[in-house]
Amino acid sequence: MSAQAQHSGDVPLFYRRGFRNVLQQAIYVAATAIVAWYVYTSLDLRDFGFGFLSEPAGFAVGSQWLTEVDGVTSSRLEIYLVGVWASLRAVMVAILLSTVVGVFIGVARLSSNFLLSKMATLFVEIFRNTPLLVQVVLWYAVLLVGAPVIQDVVNVGDFFFLSNRGIAIPWPVPSGGLWGVPDWFVGVWVLVLIAAALVAMRVRASRQEIERETGQPHYPNRWAFSIFAGAALISFLLLGVVVSIDRPILDGTQYAEGMVIKPEFAALVLGLTAYTGAFIAEIVRGSIQALPRGQTEAANAIGLSGYQRLTLIILPQALRQMIPSVTNQYLNVNKNSSLAYAVLYDDLFRVATVIQNKAGHALEMFFVIIVTYMIISFAISAVMNVFNARVTANRL
Amino acid sequence: MSELPPIPRPEQLPLPPAGGPRKIILPPHRERARRPWRIRAREWVNRNLFPSLTGTILTLVSAGFLGVLFIGVVWFVFFDANWNVITANRWLLFAGSFPREEAWRLWTSIALVMFLIGLAYGTWSSLGRRDSLFIVLTGGFVIFLMAHGDATIWSSIWFLAAIGFLYFGYYLTVWMPRETSPRRVLQQRVVGGLLAISLPLVLVILMVAGGANTRQFDGFVLNLILAPVGIVGGLVVAIPLALGRASNMKTIKWTCTAYIEVVRGAPLLGWLFVALFILDDIMGGDLIIRTMVVLAVFTGAYMAEYIRGGLQALPRGQYEAAQAVGLNKLQSMQLIILPQALRISIPPIVGQAIAIWKDTTLVTVILTLRELKGNADSAIAQSEFIPDRIEAYVFVAVVFWVVAFMMSRVSQRVERAQGIGER
Amino acid sequence: MRWPSLKGRRLVSALLFAGAALIAGAVIGACTSDEDQQQAQAVEQQQAMQQQQQQDQPQAQVSGDPRGNTVQLVKDRGILKCGVKQTQPLFGFREPDGSVVGFDVDFCKAIAEALEVDLELIDASDASTRFELLANGNIDVLIRTTTITASRDRELGVDFAQTTFYTGQGFAVHAGAGINSTADMGGSTICVQSGTTTEQNLADHFTDLGLSYTPLGGSDQETQDAFLAGRCDVWTADQSNLASRIGVLENASDFVILGELISKEPLAPGVRDYDSEFKDVVNWVVHGLIAAEEMGINKANVAAMASNPPNTAVARLLGVPFEGGEVSTLGFDSVGAQFIQRALIAVGNYGEIYENNVGDAVPRACSLNALASEDKSNCPPGTGGIQYALPYR
Repeated sequence: MSAQAQHSGDVPLFYRRGFRNVLQQAIYVAATAIVAWYVYTSLDLRDFGFGFLSEPAGFAVGSQWLTEVDGVTSSRLEIYLVGVWASLRAVMVAILLSTVVGVFIGVARLSSNFLLSKMATLFVEIFRNTPLLVQVVLWYAVLLVGAPVIQDVVNVGDFFFLSNRGIAIPWPVPSGGLWGVPDWFVGVWVLVLIAAALVAMRVRASRQEIERETGQPHYPNRWAFSIFAGAALISFLLLGVVVSIDRPILDGTQYAEGMVIKPEFAALVLGLTAYTGAFIAEIVRGSIQALPRGQTEAANAIGLSGYQRLTLIILPQALRQMIPSVTNQYLNVNKNSSLAYAVLYDDLFRVATVIQNKAGHALEMFFVIIVTYMIISFAISAVMNVFNARVTANRL
Repeated sequence: MSELPPIPRPEQLPLPPAGGPRKIILPPHRERARRPWRIRAREWVNRNLFPSLTGTILTLVSAGFLGVLFIGVVWFVFFDANWNVITANRWLLFAGSFPREEAWRLWTSIALVMFLIGLAYGTWSSLGRRDSLFIVLTGGFVIFLMAHGDATIWSSIWFLAAIGFLYFGYYLTVWMPRETSPRRVLQQRVVGGLLAISLPLVLVILMVAGGANTRQFDGFVLNLILAPVGIVGGLVVAIPLALGRASNMKTIKWTCTAYIEVVRGAPLLGWLFVALFILDDIMGGDLIIRTMVVLAVFTGAYMAEYIRGGLQALPRGQYEAAQAVGLNKLQSMQLIILPQALRISIPPIVGQAIAIWKDTTLVTVILTLRELKGNADSAIAQSEFIPDRIEAYVFVAVVFWVVAFMMSRVSQRVERAQGIGER
Repeated sequence: MRWPSLKGRRLVSALLFAGAALIAGAVIGACTSDEDQQQAQAVEQQQAMQQQQQQDQPQAQVSGDPRGNTVQLVKDRGILKCGVKQTQPLFGFREPDGSVVGFDVDFCKAIAEALEVDLELIDASDASTRFELLANGNIDVLIRTTTITASRDRELGVDFAQTTFYTGQGFAVHAGAGINSTADMGGSTICVQSGTTTEQNLADHFTDLGLSYTPLGGSDQETQDAFLAGRCDVWTADQSNLASRIGVLENASDFVILGELISKEPLAPGVRDYDSEFKDVVNWVVHGLIAAEEMGINKANVAAMASNPPNTAVARLLGVPFEGGEVSTLGFDSVGAQFIQRALIAVGNYGEIYENNVGDAVPRACSLNALASEDKSNCPPGTGGIQYALPYR
């Protein structure tokens, strides 16, 4: 401060930049603190605490998969985690599907085929400009009313069943080990597979690098595939896990075995997919249009087919540009998944409101909700950042 | 079947008068365009529908799909659907518990807003044939709904008058010269000012002197009130937030960043949960007021990010130039930086406005406010309409779609006309 | 280099102007709705009073919510805010013209008349948020097919008045599905309203039976739609709710309501805790309407009865002198002696409310000769029911 004062000479203290800076911030902090204090004192914090989450839930939820949490013996926290898992499933599937739909529709909008591009435009305009809530309840209504009742179930060769109770499809399940290992070894096997995939990708990248530098073929794809397949086979034999395909069975009015995609889940995912897909389509279109026209012409000049031009030249370049916007859409999928509330899908938000209804503690429940959404958002951002770094690192 | 008139062959066309130029040489595309429409149509079809084998297959598949879709929609709309669920519940869907004898307040407000929209259109843009077609179709749809059952003819007349006001406002301003002049500036200021006070004005018309209380805002009227409040309130919240986040004072920057990220971190439903359960302890007031606050706070965080994008997109030179001509910080913000940043960020802000328009449906989900979708739920709870859920929701979707589509069209038009969004 | 156009600057000033105008509008709005202001003042006063009391009596601090005197609050405001359902036929339901009618709504009207204030019906259809609405003061009284339970009474800051409707948790199934009791429901999908006692009863009951089931939880309307569409095998709710909703359907015969009840569901008006003044008024309006039925007073003859009461009990109930005697308010000074009479004039006695709203779908069968299977719970005690008014004296 004193050194500054020497330099600033005869400028009065009040007009010195540093002083002003500190003064403004002090006023700001004081004002913020007053508001915060007011908010804090007006909140009802008499029995603030999270102990209520460990009490018995008292209600069951239907949207379970791989979990069997009943309503009587499990705690509120456990049942909330079931809701979180339900949300995660919907979000992951919706992100995957909306990306596929979005890329397809976005490319189709730029197609030189008149009908195809008009159809894509129609898709985008319809699904982008309609409230997602209405879309979701409409899908649900269509699935409930449109699909046959369970008595008239559509049975495709005992492999697929379709009714308004959902679609039942065959699904792989662990059925005891070859050497008598317990079921949960499947989990270990999945972990091994993931590790093998990571190693394979690493090897592929390094061999690509060598290939680029030396100009000699080093077969990155073959290597990667061999590593993965070998690891999968060896670990399979070592762990001795047997996976059998479970065919769905119709038992009275219930689906048994197999995997059942329920209409609540389907309505939510359909709504999220169409809505987000429309937005992603616009992003894809914008990114492709932003590419210089020379790229398309150059691809034509070296004789690539339309499909090759798209997958080898256009999309990889557009990808870089669209990742930030698409990441935003993925975050929206996460938040919009709370609309499960409207279609009886027991996601984290619905479960949280039921807990709140039974136990009170609105403030605590709200903290829990917001922190959960933020953690999921953070995970999505983190994955997309890694992906973004990889894509931009490969830039030629 | 009548004979088509014969297409005149070139030699049959009247020759240009003698002494004039014997032959006009046109550029190739104009030359092509002069050929008979049949040839051009065939060429267009060949180029756009059947360019190659894969193209033909794509066209056939798309045509089949569109055909099935079209037949399905026609069958549903004209034969399968029972639209009585809408026509019998017109008032419930439109205004719900808004006092019926005060309906003139609604119509007056609508006429006023239509008039202002007409003024704005005439000042900054122009109504094309498509816009008029859209207005006629929408108006016909509304009149069709109002023509059923026990409705008086007055509501239709009021509505037609409202459309009349739209055109009245439009023709009042559209003929005025567009060149920059003090008069033009004045005109823009007046229209802009009227637009800015329209929302409080409408609220006053609806509420003062024995009008409705906030609890009686219901049905579609509630959507029409909540969305503008959310948008305008959001902008008012967003500008200081964006400046704060771009500030170089650490405390301000951090708190603004924290605010924006926390609000963007949770879904709107979560924040409405706050409006219902927690905000009551902090600010009290009617639920609808709290909902408006939450909508503004929520929208503000998103809009702040877009405005910050606009601030970052400005070249540094703008800041330096503002300093160089001796403007202080406040002046340079107000005169140089913000106007440009806002111009750049108009497209995403309009996108957010459309999003908040669609999100007004969410107030039904956990709050006790009944907007259009909530009242549609009430309509299909009536025993005779229980099977008609799809019709009710399709109607709601169409209504929201019309407004959202109109908003996006207007924004595209404004962007193109003014070069907004381009740097 | 292009200088920013005038347009942009105008945009900024327009925005600032819009903000100012919005605030001005809000102020005007606040001024016009002086009810709200009065209410706010009343609440503040009460809070101040309550805090004063709490300081005087430290033990009062334990007994929670400082919202106190709802009778005074409502009278100052001139409006009773009554939380009702808007999606259940016969109990609380929205008509196409936007009005809300039903059994519960009539009790709202009765209480509003007793307090001599206007009535505002507020949507409390969502089971998950209803108690919070009451606790937050968004509504003064909750009459929304709400079951009295100990945990609600203790934990949720709600206090219950006299039961207006006795029912129990029942089950509806599709006709011909071969389900005759809960024991046949193993593995089935059951539609249940989430956030209700029904949901918990269901979990408990199936644990006791040792059967598994898949719940599908939603609002009562959503669960109804799902059940009618065949998404669920079973639909469970209060039996009165099931009967009222299925009774109004065209294809009512496609569904069967089982005779089995797995719980007692006394539905009662809820008020905020620690406000016995208001609770007493609500309580005795309900008792008064039941007593009126027992005494034979109805909407048609209430005026005649008031001008010429046949006995002291009737005179006391209607708050009129009997043969020139004194009128006692019985301590109901804040609402006046004739509060039950006013309620009766507005909506009639309990039996009339029942018959006007629910009677067609859920017959009351108030006669000892009626079939045993028909529900008599809501009949007066002499005819086999348990709907029994406490002595008003």
